[in-house]
Amino acid sequence: MLQPVELKDFFITFFASGIIIVSGALYALFYAFYHLKKIAVLNYLAYVSYFVLFISVLIITQTMHLDKIWTIVVIAMLVGYFLAPRGIWHLCVATHKEKGYEQK
Amino acid sequence: MNKNKIWWSSEQFWKKTAIWVTALMFVILIFLSFDTINKITVGSNRVPSYSVINKQISYKFDTKRNFQVPVISEQDSPLFGKKLTEEQAEKLVTHGKKIVQGRNCMNCHTLLGNGAYYAPDLTKAWLDKAWGDEKYREQLMINFLMEPEKNARTFGSGRKMPNLNISKQEAQAIIAFLKWMSSIDTNGFPYNFNAISQGEK
Amino acid sequence: MTINQFNTQNLNVGQKLAIKYFSVAVVLFAAQILFGLIAGLQYLQPDLFYGVLDFNVNRTVHINAMIIWMLYGFIGASYWLLEDETGISIVGIKWGHFSFWLLTVAVIIVVLVYLFIQWGPGTDATIWFINEGREYIEAPRLADIGIVICMLIFFYNVAATVSKGKVTGITGVLTLDLVALAGLYLAGMFYTTNISLDQFWWWWVIHLWVEATWEVLVGCIMAWGLITTLGASRKIVTTWLYIEVALMFGAGILGLGHHYFWIGTPEYWFTVGGLFSALEPIPLVAMVVHAVYDSGKHGFKSNNHPAMAWLIAHAFGNFFGAGVWGFMHTLPQINLYTHGTQWTASHGHLAFFGAYATIIIAMFYFAVQKWRGGVTIRGDLVDSGWKWKWSLALLNIGVMGMTIALLISGYEQSQIERAIGGSTWLGYFQAQIHPWFVEGLVWRQIMGYITALGFILLVWDLLTIGKKEPLELESKVA
Repeated sequence: MLQPVELKDFFITFFASGIIIVSGALYALFYAFYHLKKIAVLNYLAYVSYFVLFISVLIITQTMHLDKIWTIVVIAMLVGYFLAPRGIWHLCVATHKEKGYEQK
Repeated sequence: MNKNKIWWSSEQFWKKTAIWVTALMFVILIFLSFDTINKITVGSNRVPSYSVINKQISYKFDTKRNFQVPVISEQDSPLFGKKLTEEQAEKLVTHGKKIVQGRNCMNCHTLLGNGAYYAPDLTKAWLDKAWGDEKYREQLMINFLMEPEKNARTFGSGRKMPNLNISKQEAQAIIAFLKWMSSIDTNGFPYNFNAISQGEK
Repeated sequence: MTINQFNTQNLNVGQKLAIKYFSVAVVLFAAQILFGLIAGLQYLQPDLFYGVLDFNVNRTVHINAMIIWMLYGFIGASYWLLEDETGISIVGIKWGHFSFWLLTVAVIIVVLVYLFIQWGPGTDATIWFINEGREYIEAPRLADIGIVICMLIFFYNVAATVSKGKVTGITGVLTLDLVALAGLYLAGMFYTTNISLDQFWWWWVIHLWVEATWEVLVGCIMAWGLITTLGASRKIVTTWLYIEVALMFGAGILGLGHHYFWIGTPEYWFTVGGLFSALEPIPLVAMVVHAVYDSGKHGFKSNNHPAMAWLIAHAFGNFFGAGVWGFMHTLPQINLYTHGTQWTASHGHLAFFGAYATIIIAMFYFAVQKWRGGVTIRGDLVDSGWKWKWSLALLNIGVMGMTIALLISGYEQSQIERAIGGSTWLGYFQAQIHPWFVEGLVWRQIMGYITALGFILLVWDLLTIGKKEPLELESKVA
């Protein structure tokens, strides 16, 4: 079942879709920098970025009519983009520790 | 240096994960492919048999599926007034498709939306309103394919199809292929299409 | 060892073969740009070369040259790193050279046939000897067989060398990836009248090459680059290569579904394609974290600045081209309007350039450096490196500009032709003459010239960079 986007929603749909990926990357960027530098404002910016992503996902949920089975896609995006950078960060720390690698 | 064994960050763990994930996804893809190929063989609901060119094809909005679908009528409307057997139809459509490949149509046009974007999509070319009336459609299509530069309707774009030395017989085969292709259920692509028999919307 | 001169004495056996591949790759890159410019100009002046060199001919050469030059780049890159990785000389290198000449002669013949014979009657002979007429894999069947033979020889070189020498994570992944690469090509090598089935298998080749096996190949090259140029730990890099393979194949294989919305295939592909397309950017986003981590913990030190700059361009290009541009029109609710419009062209230009052209150009810079005996190519070049900096800037601005221009045209097309015009021929042409569309294509052409200018500078730079530079003291260049 498919309910195509309406003409009036074209621009906002394209725009919000692009913003999802960009803010997803910004969230990852600020999150990683925060853990590297421990500057509080970076952590704050990370959550602002994720908030923008969250809103953008909600917008395309509306305009693309992502209901019923499409809810899976919405949840996959909200959870996936939130957790992936965190998981990768822990992996970075763990893989580098394993080698006993000390940076000088 | 205790930490040597965090299992989820070890090389071995990710090596195995990479192999298993790839294998799993590939198996799912194979499984879905078998199912899909079954559903798109010629003669299925989605891709009708070649003898569909003996029938009248039109286009209708399906409220349950929420998009337009091709409708094949019961009554005969044979292409070029000649009813073909399944075998003859297959031969004609096959010839048409091979001409479409040999003339490299796909690097100007799109078929099912794939190809180049220099010229219109051909998925529903048979049903296009540009042919005016169904009565003259076959003849107009033959004229156009044989002498595109004279019969071009560029709508002010200046773009004309070049003359590709298409004979009458070849033109008929191409048209058979186009008619058959227009009967494929493409999940409502191209969107909002207004077919020749549908009247103004 | 000769310093500052191009001298093959500076290279190992595999690298000598690699520079042959790289040289042809540059020539084909030139062909891609040239025929792209002609095809683009035909949008603005449809009478240009009408009936002589029609749009479909130019476009065929444009996209085929691209696929083949990138393939040459990948094959060259693999030969380049093979001896370093395995620790032994390449097994059966004679066959490798034979295969290079076979492939190159085949490519020349195919291009000449495209240009001068152009088309044939609707017979099997046309498909076998002239043109298969299927986008990207137009090469006639005979050439397909030649390509498969060359791929098998290439595979033999890699597999035999790997099994005889040291098996590393990188060469292991590379070998398996090449099996997939060659195997998938077979999916495009048979004829069927059923256009739905035709397109079904066609996407197996196109998608699973470009969005799966090529990505992993790039991952292997990247991993090798990190170890040899930045001195990263092999164990860590290999672990990350596996993580990347898991993420790429995990999302990319079933991401194939986003091509199965409108070709006659069943409706469940809407959900499968939609879900995995939404997951496909996750590896890209995740990589941002890793890049930050690495830069923070190690810092980037490099004695080859242009190559580093192109690797950074690769990271951004891949992210925007594949990630942002891909996701903007991937879900079926919107793809219904954008499929088969200039949207696709916009996405294609940035994604191919960002994901693949950039990294191969970086390989070119690594190659010329070693070829000249391992000179240092840092920011303090004698000519201050204006050529590589300007070519980097012009190429990136040019491609990005084409992408944005085509995006505007595609956006207009999805509205005027599809949403309002009902996707008929009249709707199509109404969209094609709309000022937004025409303006977009004018700007695309201008940006195309800028790209071409950047390319000319790039070639000039590749031929001259490092000519007068000193040899790096603790030369640890691969």
